[in-house]
Amino acid sequence: MTRSLARGRTPADHPAAPTSVPRAGEIDSARQGDPSGPPVGQDRPVPPTTSRIPGSAAEIAARLRALLVAARPGWPGRALYALASLPFGALYLALFAGLVGSVVALIYGVGVLLVLLVLATTRGFAGLERRMARELLGVDIPAGERVRDQHGAVRKLRRLVWAADTWRALGWLGARVLLGIATLATLLFGGFVFAYLGWGADWNALTALPLLALMVAVVGVTLAVLDGLVRLSGSVAPRLLGTAPEQRIAALQQSTRRLADRNRLARDLHDTIGHALTASLLQASAARRTLTPAGDRPLQPDFAHQALGHIETNTRTALAELDRVLSVLRAEDGGRDPAPFAAPSLADLEELLSGLRDGGLPVALVVDGDVDDVPAGVQELAYRVVQEGTTNVLRHAGTPLTVAQVARSGATLVVRVCNERASQLDSRPGPGGGRGLAGLRERATAAGGTLSAEPTPSGGFELCVTLPLAGAA
Amino acid sequence: MSLRLLLVDDDVLVRSGLRVILESEPDLTVVGDAGTGREALDVAAQTDPDVVLMDVRMPDMDGIAATRELVARDPQRPRVLVLTTFEDDDYLFRSLQAGASGFALKRSDPDELVDAIRVVARGTSLVLPDLTRRLIAAHAPSRARGPAALPTLTGREADVLRLVAGGLSNAEIATELFLSRETVKTHVSSVLLKLGARDRTQAVIAAYESGFMNA
Repeated sequence: MTRSLARGRTPADHPAAPTSVPRAGEIDSARQGDPSGPPVGQDRPVPPTTSRIPGSAAEIAARLRALLVAARPGWPGRALYALASLPFGALYLALFAGLVGSVVALIYGVGVLLVLLVLATTRGFAGLERRMARELLGVDIPAGERVRDQHGAVRKLRRLVWAADTWRALGWLGARVLLGIATLATLLFGGFVFAYLGWGADWNALTALPLLALMVAVVGVTLAVLDGLVRLSGSVAPRLLGTAPEQRIAALQQSTRRLADRNRLARDLHDTIGHALTASLLQASAARRTLTPAGDRPLQPDFAHQALGHIETNTRTALAELDRVLSVLRAEDGGRDPAPFAAPSLADLEELLSGLRDGGLPVALVVDGDVDDVPAGVQELAYRVVQEGTTNVLRHAGTPLTVAQVARSGATLVVRVCNERASQLDSRPGPGGGRGLAGLRERATAAGGTLSAEPTPSGGFELCVTLPLAGAA
Repeated sequence: MSLRLLLVDDDVLVRSGLRVILESEPDLTVVGDAGTGREALDVAAQTDPDVVLMDVRMPDMDGIAATRELVARDPQRPRVLVLTTFEDDDYLFRSLQAGASGFALKRSDPDELVDAIRVVARGTSLVLPDLTRRLIAAHAPSRARGPAALPTLTGREADVLRLVAGGLSNAEIATELFLSRETVKTHVSSVLLKLGARDRTQAVIAAYESGFMNA
């Protein structure tokens, strides 16, 4: 689906693409159409003159370049980088001077804006530096966090001043200043020695050869030192310009949480909507058969009536769950943190129960003690207990009188769902009740609590979960 | 002769719905139902069903464990048809491995469900052959040791096993190999015997796990 979508969109989004980009086939046929073209394996067409006069100066130059590239891949980029470090070093030196100046101005109380301006400029240059390092040196540096992506002026300012990125970027610019100075010193020194050897030394038949050799050596050493400096920056750049460790950890944590949320969502979908729809389907299918029985089977309008009631309740529950899941997904799409939207809280209980009351279950909610400051995680778990408990009552016992109780005493939250004797059908309480109970028990245990689910002496059923509040997240 | 069925699902609505649907077929009788795996073992011992319709996820012993236990008690009776809400590959394969003869979706058309029950009871072909074969092929940890890992099969038996694993029924195999159905039946029985497999599904798993299908 993604593929067909992408295919469908390409012409609209990139109207020029099909015409401006030659397809592989076109390149091939062009090459094949020119028998005097470049040797196989060379992907750039060489002017026809070169191929007609083999061994010409142009070809030798090309071969030399190929040889150089093979020996030191990317040397033109590195040379450019070394040269660029002169003007950029000067620029950053000025920036540092500006910073010092504005900090001094800060003492007199007028430099705040200046400091911010310098910091913002630093971040801007860090972006440029990342691109240079990527494109000229081939260093793999992930794009940093961008201040302008933050929402709100206060957050922008806070990120600008407090983020480690800013200060690391400043550190990098400082390193670039040093690199510029080193490059300049190397060039000056090399140039000076070269000039001295060429014009200051005593050239005669005896000294000419050694002097020439020395000059070549000076050029070689100078280039080697420059190359070393560039390589050094290439290896330092990812540390100062790359993603800070805390950012990486935060990103990892976020993606892990997202994955966990997704898995939980999938499980919830499976357990609630999938299950409710399956039960409804089977009830509907059965009801139809009891109303139009085959052969000698009796008509069972009572069953059909009851089945319709179940379908009604199940569908209502499923729709409520669908609503919740969709709100979670929408929150995620909006780029907001889904957690606060995803987790239902104790405040949502009344709505849950009123839905069940509409479905025919006489259920009351009793809340004892102050539960407002119960941690969100515990609130969600408590909500799930009530949801599972009441749903199980409907499933297994029909519509008996039911009480859901949430009570806080000190550092413990007790959640209880209790129903009277079953009103209909299959009154077997079932040792575990619904499939959700196993999951609930796991979660309750993980939270340091306990879960019990057992028949009451009066023939009803009680689900009781105790959750500690201390130390809960 | 009517087929005796046991319904196992933790949701009473699923059970009551299935009961009505299945009992409207003249040749099917629901002899019992159970809400957990453990209860299913008890009820199965009391009612001696031909086919158990088994839910996978249940409290107090899930369908996979219950299937394993039923097969351990008696490899021939009852056969287990796993009923599932979704095609959750992992659960399904594990239940086949545990000894289930096949699986069906709870949402499938009632006629298909009834058909699957009859197929499982007869044992002459796989339920949902394509899906089952793909599931097994994808999950079976093939040790790729080739046919040597299987007990010596005659040439004909190997042909038959390959076609069984391809999801063909006895009748289709007969057409394919120009044999009579009786002969095919004999070959299949002999293959099952040699592999120690209780039914075709188990034979297919053995074929894939031994690497026979890669050879």
